[in-house]
Amino acid sequence: MNPRIACMAAAFFLASVAVPTAHAAGWIDQRSVIAVHGDATAGAAKATTCVACHGPNGNAIIPAFPKLAGQRAEYLAGELHKAKLGSRPDSPMTALAAPLTDEDIANLATYFASQARTPSTLPPADSAVLSRGESLYLHGDPARGVPPCQGCHGSDANGPADGAGHLRAWPALRGQNGDYVVQRLKNYRDGKLMDSSNDFVMHGVAQSLDDGSIQAIASWLASLPPGAP
Amino acid sequence: MHAQRLSIPFRTIPLALAIAAALPVHADSGAGIDTWRANKLDPSAGAASEGCDPNGTTWLAPGTRRSPTGNLYHCPPPAPQVTAHGDWQHYGVLQLGYLGTGGDDRNALWNRYVHWDSELILGLLDLSVERPEDGTYANVRASRISDDDQYYQAVFGRAGSYKVQAFLRDMPNVLSADAKSIWNGVGGNVLTLSNGLKPGGSTSADVAAVSSAAPERMLSVKRSKQGLGFNMYLTPEWTAYANLSDEQRKGARPYGGPFFFNFPFPANGGALETVKPIDDSTINVGGGLRYAGTAWRMDLSYTGSFYRDRYTRYTYETPFALYPVVPGAVSAPLTTGQMAMEPDNNYHNLKATFTRKLPMNGELSLTASAGRMSQNDTLIQPIDCQGVFGIGLGGSLQLGPQNPFLYDCSKWNTTAALSRRTADMRIDTTLLDARLVLQPASDVTVRGGLRFNRDDYRNGYLMYNPLTGDYGYVSENGSQGSVVPGEIGLFNPLTSPSALTRIRSLPLDLQTIDADLGADWKIGDRNTIGATLAFNRYEPTNRERRQIDDKSLKLTWVNRSLDWLTLRANYTYKTSDGDRYEYDPYDFTYSSSLPGYVPPQGGTPSHTVEALRKYDMSSRDEHKIDLMATIMPRDDMTISGSLRGDWNSYDAKIGRQAYNTTGATLQWEWQPAPTTTMSVYAAWDHSQLRLSNVQDQQNGAGTDPRLGGPNYAFDGQWWLRDKQRNLYGGATFDHRIGRVRLDASWNYTYSRGIDAYAYAGPTALAYPATVPGAGPGSGEFPAMVYRIQSLTVGVTVPITERVSMRFFDYYERGHVSDWHYLGFDQTLVQDHRVYTDAGPQSYRANLVGMLVNVQL
Repeated sequence: MNPRIACMAAAFFLASVAVPTAHAAGWIDQRSVIAVHGDATAGAAKATTCVACHGPNGNAIIPAFPKLAGQRAEYLAGELHKAKLGSRPDSPMTALAAPLTDEDIANLATYFASQARTPSTLPPADSAVLSRGESLYLHGDPARGVPPCQGCHGSDANGPADGAGHLRAWPALRGQNGDYVVQRLKNYRDGKLMDSSNDFVMHGVAQSLDDGSIQAIASWLASLPPGAP
Repeated sequence: MHAQRLSIPFRTIPLALAIAAALPVHADSGAGIDTWRANKLDPSAGAASEGCDPNGTTWLAPGTRRSPTGNLYHCPPPAPQVTAHGDWQHYGVLQLGYLGTGGDDRNALWNRYVHWDSELILGLLDLSVERPEDGTYANVRASRISDDDQYYQAVFGRAGSYKVQAFLRDMPNVLSADAKSIWNGVGGNVLTLSNGLKPGGSTSADVAAVSSAAPERMLSVKRSKQGLGFNMYLTPEWTAYANLSDEQRKGARPYGGPFFFNFPFPANGGALETVKPIDDSTINVGGGLRYAGTAWRMDLSYTGSFYRDRYTRYTYETPFALYPVVPGAVSAPLTTGQMAMEPDNNYHNLKATFTRKLPMNGELSLTASAGRMSQNDTLIQPIDCQGVFGIGLGGSLQLGPQNPFLYDCSKWNTTAALSRRTADMRIDTTLLDARLVLQPASDVTVRGGLRFNRDDYRNGYLMYNPLTGDYGYVSENGSQGSVVPGEIGLFNPLTSPSALTRIRSLPLDLQTIDADLGADWKIGDRNTIGATLAFNRYEPTNRERRQIDDKSLKLTWVNRSLDWLTLRANYTYKTSDGDRYEYDPYDFTYSSSLPGYVPPQGGTPSHTVEALRKYDMSSRDEHKIDLMATIMPRDDMTISGSLRGDWNSYDAKIGRQAYNTTGATLQWEWQPAPTTTMSVYAAWDHSQLRLSNVQDQQNGAGTDPRLGGPNYAFDGQWWLRDKQRNLYGGATFDHRIGRVRLDASWNYTYSRGIDAYAYAGPTALAYPATVPGAGPGSGEFPAMVYRIQSLTVGVTVPITERVSMRFFDYYERGHVSDWHYLGFDQTLVQDHRVYTDAGPQSYRANLVGMLVNVQL
């Protein structure tokens, strides 16, 4: 082959490989996540607005709001980025997240991740409900196509045991507020949360859950004391 | 900026589909009928259905996925563009275009299993219709390259409920593209000499002239298959299935046509390569019930196969006359030979498998199967002649006591000359199999199996002519006995009591017992070792040994000490031995076993040399090693290599003595992006087969079977070393820039075989006079070489959102060197040897395609 033609062909190929795909705004790919190292002090200062709903140190008292304390920073950062997209169901978070910079998000996530989660103050649900929730979480229901939650969220519900890479974007559920978990799972099931690769996973999972199963799982998770079992 | 912000792929397809990756139409329900539909065009030109989904393999993890041994799985294809119609949706592709061929495009190797032609084609129609609500689906898939290279398939069903499929498929197989026939009637079962050639009255020059003037023709076989399949889910546990297919083969192929040896008898006999008609059909049926529960699994099935040939035989005329070796005698004017076709036959098999889960994560599986193969086709007459066959002494062809070597055709040319009119043969098969797997600890797996198999021959055939009282079969269409007095192949206790000839069929009943016991042990996370002991006992009847035992030990090791490397190593030692080797267990199939047999003067010739050890009956030691490495230097790249060796040593002075093979492979795969894939492959293997044999000194008349005796003297021993070397290479490249796709592939195959020989003395050779001196010698035949390279280059460019054009060029070059066909470019007729197929030819051919892809 003529050397000039060969060089042109090689340059053509290398250029076409190197040019990144022209991404349009859409959903967030959470399969590639790098570690978040923000400034917790700056995050604490920025969090004054958050505590109104999410409670002191990120331990929401109102069961409809999620506890942020003790979550991995990468998960929290991902949620804030998704909130910024503006396509989540109507909530104050849409407006609150809109002005946040990437640095703000990292700082907030680092701050809440550094806080300790506190136990629920609500009375636990009926033992039969808790038992069913525990069974669904640990074993799923193969006959109905329900996978066990522990496969991704850990056998102790503290998130994946090997919390490296993209696994750090998967949340810890232990001691999470029950009403929040119920609404979140229903939103997944109904296709209202479709903004990231992790949302797509949960949409598929939640489609196999009926209301009773959702309630049972949420109740059991809420009843678990924070920390290692 | 966070990685989560950096990796936002664009939303290329409706999200609902991006999530619903497992579409019901792709779910196969298990048992089916030829579920794979493809042709030679599809892999290179089916561009619309290829490529990688930019969303990757799974939402759960980044990058591409790997198999347990570390190989990259091929990327999933992009989800289809779906058009909705209320509850229903459809998607698909239509590919139409033109193919043009050039160069040596009639060549047989170029046309192997494909019929390229310069014409408009349907590259692919693949249309799916679905109703997601209840999982109902239908799919049509079709491709048509030419009249005899096409397929059509239709599938419909409902996920989890039922599935029905039907297909039609035509596939060609070109066996010769340069055949020249001296016969009319090719493709039928009566071959008559063409262009004035006189049966039994033509010279070699006459035949050579007709052969030379005959047009080159293609000999091919077209397979046409139709099938229906049905699956139904009766309950979540029970499935019923049934399938039926019918395959017809039509065409013609080069075949034999004996009229006695020509090499030792110049201007006599006839070794003819005739043309065999292929016109048959095979019906396959199957059905069963399958149960898959939590603890139990069961499969109860029936399979049947029914082969029918249009013809029971085909006949051909010989152009040559026969001459007796006895001065003053005259040969019968034989002009017609015949070949039996494969008999119509039936096969039935019933099989039941039960599998039960056990404690310790174990499983026990039991299988019982019984089958019957039978054929009762009409037998053909021993000879197709009129008048007489054999030799007339004194120049007379008058039957009578004065002509003991002359035979009456009328007593042999009908099925009344047979001991029965139909074959009435049957083989019953029995199989019992048990397998057990247990995992007594999380890092230990134990497995064992026991298998029993029997083949029982239920009938035999005695070759007896009730019209004459003769035993045996007329040899070489009667020609042998028409050249050499008495060599007609028949025994008669009164008229030819010393004739040694085959008189009955050979039942080959076989019983086998296989047992194995093995275990795998995971040592930590990095190493797994395993060992398997196996024992196999073969108990054949009417073979040289009544019992052969194989014992083997296989050791395996898998190492994953390094995250980027998987190493696998296997070693197997196997030894085969048995009871006493009886070099001649076949006497009962010869006339020497019949009452009235009188050994000829000097005694009955030995069947073969006593020192012969047939390779499947011989004692043997085998060492086998496999080393495999899979390297993952990056997430998107795999390099794999392997080394293997297999060394077999046979305890045989005469027969196969060694068979050794070694090989290596190296492969590189790279999938840097969903838009780009590349691979390079290289493989090498080498095999060597060594055997020895000995020429008898008495042309088969000696009685002493000992090697080194007067009949099988050491001086007549010879050795052969067959060496085979193969090289394979390949490279693929596929890259997309937006919707423009570039692809290329290159393939290389090189095969070289050579036979070297050595002999103890000239008497080992068929033609001792051709070598000088009296001592040992050696030499080798010319190498046989087969080398094929092919290159494909293609580009697909978008025209509109749903329409694209594909242009491709496929170039193939083949080089064949086979000394068996030397001189065939000059003539296909040498003395009384007539060939029809001129053999494989080297070639260069090209295929250009322009195809329009339309997303439906």
